[in-house]
Amino acid sequence: MPSDAPDDSSKAESERAAGREGEADAYGALGLVISGVLVWGGVGFLVAERLDNRLFVMLGLLLGMGAGLYLVWFRYGRQRDQ
Amino acid sequence: MSSSVLAVEGEGFVSPGPGTFVYPPAFGEGTFVTKPMLIVILGSLAVAVFFFLAARRAAMVPGKTQFVGESLYGFVRNSIALDAIGKPGLKYVPYLATVFFFLATLNISGILPLVQFPATSRIAIPLFLAVISCILFNAIGIKREGLGGYFKNMMFPSGIPWPVYILLAPIEFVSTIIIRPLTLTLRLTFNMFAGHLVLVLFILGGEYLIFEYSGVVGIAAGTVALLGSLVLTAFEGFVQLLQAYVFTLLSALYIGGALQDEH
Repeated sequence: MPSDAPDDSSKAESERAAGREGEADAYGALGLVISGVLVWGGVGFLVAERLDNRLFVMLGLLLGMGAGLYLVWFRYGRQRDQ
Repeated sequence: MSSSVLAVEGEGFVSPGPGTFVYPPAFGEGTFVTKPMLIVILGSLAVAVFFFLAARRAAMVPGKTQFVGESLYGFVRNSIALDAIGKPGLKYVPYLATVFFFLATLNISGILPLVQFPATSRIAIPLFLAVISCILFNAIGIKREGLGGYFKNMMFPSGIPWPVYILLAPIEFVSTIIIRPLTLTLRLTFNMFAGHLVLVLFILGGEYLIFEYSGVVGIAAGTVALLGSLVLTAFEGFVQLLQAYVFTLLSALYIGGALQDEH
């Protein structure tokens, strides 16, 4: 990234767009996987506390990770193929 | 290297911990202001005064201060706002520039001689800025699509059978409203926290080795540790500027995402 770009026409708008999209996607994907594990792992933890069965923590974590990964594919993986 | 030596010969040397970041009141017992607070106040003033001086007599042929000020502002404008958001981002350059220079100053205070404490290693400062960024990009999204439309686009992307929404909507919500500001906060805070701790360890450890442990081994190892602290100080300076940049860039990316049509 040139720090002293004289003005905004020094780089093609499409090139900028591609760059920022890639960056935003990378951080977005990471956030989705983390949230998936947190949300459903948390639900699993609460259920496990309630039912006194630790199996639900693992189920929740796996469910959350699966859902998070599915969202990553849904948001960022699909339109590249079209 | 010195840390392993210290671990073995650890008697008498108290290695720095989280307590390093807790300061007593700066003006004696009973007063309220601490060193990190002073750094925040003086740092903000320094940034404000510098940009005021740079902009005061804006001329076609810029003077030295104006040139530096414009170059710095231009960096945020071109490399952050335009790169991350595009043309609509020009509206948000003032906010992004403020965040960047505020953070850069408070980060750099960690290696500034005599000051030598990164105020941003206290979590309140990054947290507050992250919350402002979070409110900002959500407000932009809500303003553009309406309250219902914004959350509908965020939590219920079209093309998924409806039962799956139960699974996915909470994840999208948490990822946008909680994880984003949280990661902004933690990334900055603990980069500064860890960096400062390493510097303190090397400098205090080197001092201890030379003056307390002493002997040929102690003086040799202490000298290496102190020389290492110089290298690490330079490295910290790099990390501090980089983290200010990353925080601002991510804020800009989130704003850009809120301005963009859902793909």
